[in-house]
Amino acid sequence: MTATSATKNSAAQGLRYITIAWLVLCVITIVSWWLSPAHSANTAIASVPITVAVIVLGFIKSRLIIRYFMEVRSAPRWLRLATDGWLVALWAGALAIYLY
Amino acid sequence: MTESTSTSTVLSDGRPIAAGESSHLPGDSHMWVMVLGDLVIFGGYFLIYMVDRAMKPAPFLAAQQHLSITTGVVNTLVLLTSSLIVARSVYAARSGKYDQAIKLTYLGGAFGVLFIAIKAYEWSLELSKGLTVSNGFFSYYYVLTGVHMLHVTLGLIILGVSVRELRAPKRRRTNLVEQGATYWHMVDLLWVVIFGLLYVVR
Amino acid sequence: MSVAAAITGGGDRPLDDSPAQASKRPLWIVFWIFPGFFGLFGVIFVLLLRVIPPPRPDVGYGYMTHFFETHHTTIRIGLGLLFLVFGGHAIANGFVTYHMKRMSSGPTFAYVYMGALAIGAIPGMLLVAFCFGAATLRADREPRIIGLLYDLGMLSFNGSLGCFATAYLAFAVAILVDKNGIFPKWLAYLTIWQIVTEVIATQMWQQTSGAFAWNGSIAFWLAVIVFGVWLNCQILAVKKATDEHVAGTRPLD
Repeated sequence: MTATSATKNSAAQGLRYITIAWLVLCVITIVSWWLSPAHSANTAIASVPITVAVIVLGFIKSRLIIRYFMEVRSAPRWLRLATDGWLVALWAGALAIYLY
Repeated sequence: MTESTSTSTVLSDGRPIAAGESSHLPGDSHMWVMVLGDLVIFGGYFLIYMVDRAMKPAPFLAAQQHLSITTGVVNTLVLLTSSLIVARSVYAARSGKYDQAIKLTYLGGAFGVLFIAIKAYEWSLELSKGLTVSNGFFSYYYVLTGVHMLHVTLGLIILGVSVRELRAPKRRRTNLVEQGATYWHMVDLLWVVIFGLLYVVR
Repeated sequence: MSVAAAITGGGDRPLDDSPAQASKRPLWIVFWIFPGFFGLFGVIFVLLLRVIPPPRPDVGYGYMTHFFETHHTTIRIGLGLLFLVFGGHAIANGFVTYHMKRMSSGPTFAYVYMGALAIGAIPGMLLVAFCFGAATLRADREPRIIGLLYDLGMLSFNGSLGCFATAYLAFAVAILVDKNGIFPKWLAYLTIWQIVTEVIATQMWQQTSGAFAWNGSIAFWLAVIVFGVWLNCQILAVKKATDEHVAGTRPLD
């Protein structure tokens, strides 16, 4: 099986993308440490801005995993729509329930 | 797992594909049925959790404080890394570097085992503090992380099937390896949601 | 290779009778008993025994006694009907076993399926009928005993998961390993969801209220939705397998 240079380039590009995605995911995760109610010794208080931030970050993280790791970015449209639909239903739903 | 491939030179919404890119369903439709259905069912669990939490936010928040956020962050990083490694193994398999693909799959699986070990340790800490399923928040915590661990274990078996596939020179069907990777990424995805909703939301 | 084996790809072998005279009518009669039984099961457990949806676990003996008083007629009709037709589950499971034996995965999985479900029917279907029937038999039964029968019935019906999880695991693995394509692979994955919801049922032995109680949104409602989808898919897959089964052949022993 011979790989054309175009395929090799796109493979290299793909590897770069998933590595970048991984880095972003790790950074967001580490940042979450400070947002969590469990990180400080004081009693945690509910916080709408923090939760909104967490939900937005959660949406970004899950979309990165779906689009880059699961390669949905280059998948047929029905799959891109279905996974985006799930993401919105889950995170928007969670936020709506929290705010209500 | 079954075989099917679909490639085209045009994305399904008509846009022409850049050189080297193609609209490609990784793995096959059967595994996607599994993944999408699992996501919907878990989605249901997550939304029910949020509803329950909204009805008693104070006790849930107080219970959340007992979680070890450091362990949660470490576990998330472990699983994210294992996903990266498994994704790289798929690239290796696609370019015919089967030995590398096998090594990477083993390594990804090893991180999966590490995840389970850390989780078991975390559970033992919480149980020794007397936090059991009789606490409202912790009943969700144990069920969701428990079912997730079941999925991780299943994922390790599926990665084993990928390795078996990669070893046999007569097989090495790329889409089978892709299916295993898709399932593994789903496991990672579910954990990221669990981490966000249970460990961080306040 | 014989003609029949050539047609079926080796998974089935011809009957001793001439294939030209064989008919699939016995298979179809058995097939229709499958959805027929489960339809009756729905009527019995939903409308008559009132087990689906379940009565609440977080109640006192007064409520439990009142439950049996209110429903005592339909409960007795329901269990009478159940005891007439419950053999249908053996036919339905046996028929799935028949098709599983046509798989290349070997007969072991088929027998595990059949055996596990045969045993599972006792706690998972019959025991609640016995308990509810006994609870309605005598009008002056002591409330604490009524309470015991209520709990025993509901916990056995909803919380007996080991046999079902085992049967479903055998079913899922058999399909994934099968090279004869008897059932579609996506049904194996649906079955894995079924197993996940079964496993969660362990929690109903711990909680009497909330999402994980025997009437909870997760332990009951979500589980029953997944089960309904799964059962319908299994019935459709069995119908398709029966359609594709060549007349005049039978599974290898």
